[in-house]
Amino acid sequence: MVADLPTGFWSGWVIVLTCVSLATLVWIVLSVYFAPPDSKSTHGEIDHDPVWDTDLREGTSAPPLWWFWMLLGALVFSLGYLMLYPGLGSFEGLLNWSQGKRLVSSYENYEESFDARRAEIAATSLSELQGNTALMETADRIFRRECSACHGADGRGQAALFPNLLDVDWQWGGSPEQIEQTLRGGRNASMPAWEASLGEEKTRDVANYLLNFSDRGHAGRTVYEQNCAACHGVDGTGNVFLGAPNLADNTWLYGGDIDSILATLRQGRAGKMPAFDEQRLDAAQLKLIIAKLAR
Amino acid sequence: MSALSLHKKIEENTGLLIFGILLVSAIGGLVQILPVLNQKSLEEPTVNTKPYSAIELTGRDIYMREGCSVCHSQQIRPLIAEVERYGPYSRAGEFVYDRPFMWGSKRTGPDLHRIGGKYTDDWHRIHLIDPRTVVPESIMPGYPWLAERAASETGNIVAKMTALRKLGHPYTDAQIAAAESDLEGLMEIDALTAYLQILGTGLDEEIAR
Ligand code: HEC
Ligand code: HEC
Ligand code: HEC
Repeated sequence: MVADLPTGFWSGWVIVLTCVSLATLVWIVLSVYFAPPDSKSTHGEIDHDPVWDTDLREGTSAPPLWWFWMLLGALVFSLGYLMLYPGLGSFEGLLNWSQGKRLVSSYENYEESFDARRAEIAATSLSELQGNTALMETADRIFRRECSACHGADGRGQAALFPNLLDVDWQWGGSPEQIEQTLRGGRNASMPAWEASLGEEKTRDVANYLLNFSDRGHAGRTVYEQNCAACHGVDGTGNVFLGAPNLADNTWLYGGDIDSILATLRQGRAGKMPAFDEQRLDAAQLKLIIAKLAR
Repeated sequence: MSALSLHKKIEENTGLLIFGILLVSAIGGLVQILPVLNQKSLEEPTVNTKPYSAIELTGRDIYMREGCSVCHSQQIRPLIAEVERYGPYSRAGEFVYDRPFMWGSKRTGPDLHRIGGKYTDDWHRIHLIDPRTVVPESIMPGYPWLAERAASETGNIVAKMTALRKLGHPYTDAQIAAAESDLEGLMEIDALTAYLQILGTGLDEEIAR
């Protein structure tokens, strides 16, 4: 990480302008306070100053002396600063300080400081983790930070788009391995739109059949078995490899009333769960989240 | 000559006074701004920084128009707390195609520089229409009209891209010619979402730690 300082001509430009300004400042301050007496009062007042109301005249006496000390202090400070820190063109300063180096040094020992915690989590079984209140609170915090914007602060899903993670219904499977796969790889569900190929009537039939799944004689049943069973299963229990949800139960992601189901069939659905790589969720955090969700 | 007699001369001569004031107030800019304008290393785009597409550019204009930068910054500072929260700190080369940049100066909501890819398009759509649908305690205002207005009505995209090309953004003729059809059928909310999804994705994987 190299500090991005001006180089070549512009470095010299900065140095010269800075030094000339400082020198001018010193000269002005010194001559205001320590100019020879003639140019200071008599000369100025007699020659130049207008007099109003017989004795009211413009004085040119120097400002109070404590100002002088303050200005001197500021000058000394700036010289010290310009020596220690980057400021004079490409000169990096005697301390060799830069924002980038400060960031790097604050990362020293940062990862190591988590080693003990991470090792503990790696060595603990999922069921033991689930029994550890302190660690499960950590898991809740991670969940609130990374997942709650979509799945809701309590994980119960929201917006008829983001699934409830605390129920027994798993689209992609609820085993630790399957949850890990969901998180590391992300999930892209694809439910085709049906109305164009099935037509209005069959679409209505099959939608109604979903609401009366146990009705073996329903008009929508053949439509279902011909078109839907490949993914959702003949018995409607779904398929975790495709993320095809269980349609035979009473849990619905996109809504279980007839209008929502019809909307699903008309427009199709493509739920997308983003992938969480090592940077967003390290191995220990991932394990904690799995312990929180798996049952 | 002492400073006092110089002072007297300047005070009695308006032209000299004006010149002196201009000179003194220019020094800061001459030292801090002029050299930076000539610092090539700051103009070099980072590996994956590309000029905004017609859709993203329109989204950026909507971002400006709606004043999102009043509450959101787009600059992650090189401090451990920010890097841990938002991701790699912002590099100068990521902003070369931002005219003007949307760094902002106030964080009522979180920084958005690395928002690209954090959420899905669906999430942004719901959140922009009414943030409280997904973040119940949010104080961000909803922008429901973005879903009702056509993206093509947000200014003249061809003129914008042509003007930016004059300023050095490497758009091809084909890109500019296709700009209007790119926007066809899209709503403002789609363009804004496309812009949000590209934000902060300009870094090389390696730098992105
Ligand atoms: C940008 C929104 C978003 C974020 C952030 C998000 N998810 Fe998801 N997640 C989804 C969506 C949408 C689905 C449903 C995908 C589908 O339709 O198949 C999903 C599905 C899942 C599933 C599969 C559920 C099932 O029934 O099989 C799990 C597990 C899950 N998410 C866990 C998490 C965890 C843990 C986090 C935080 C580390 C998280 N998600 C963050 C949007 C999100
Ligand atoms: C190619 C496989 C596939 C086929 C064929 C298929 N589906 Fe789906 N279906 C899915 C997937 C995957 C989802 C999950 C979509 C999501 O999460 O975004 C889904 C979701 C649904 C949902 C929403 C469930 C909920 O919880 O809200 C309904 C309803 C549905 N399908 C009905 C049907 C019907 C009726 C048919 C036949 C006409 C059918 N599907 C055919 C894969 C399929
Ligand atoms: C009044 C201030 C305010 C304005 C104006 C505002 N936001 Fe927000 N925004 C917030 C707050 C507060 C949050 C955090 C709560 C939330 O997620 O809704 C937020 C969150 C967000 C997030 C999610 C950030 C994250 O990392 O979770 C995005 C994206 C966003 N805003 C985009 C926008 C866009 C685009 C606009 C302009 C159309 C906008 N905001 C205008 C206050 C504001």
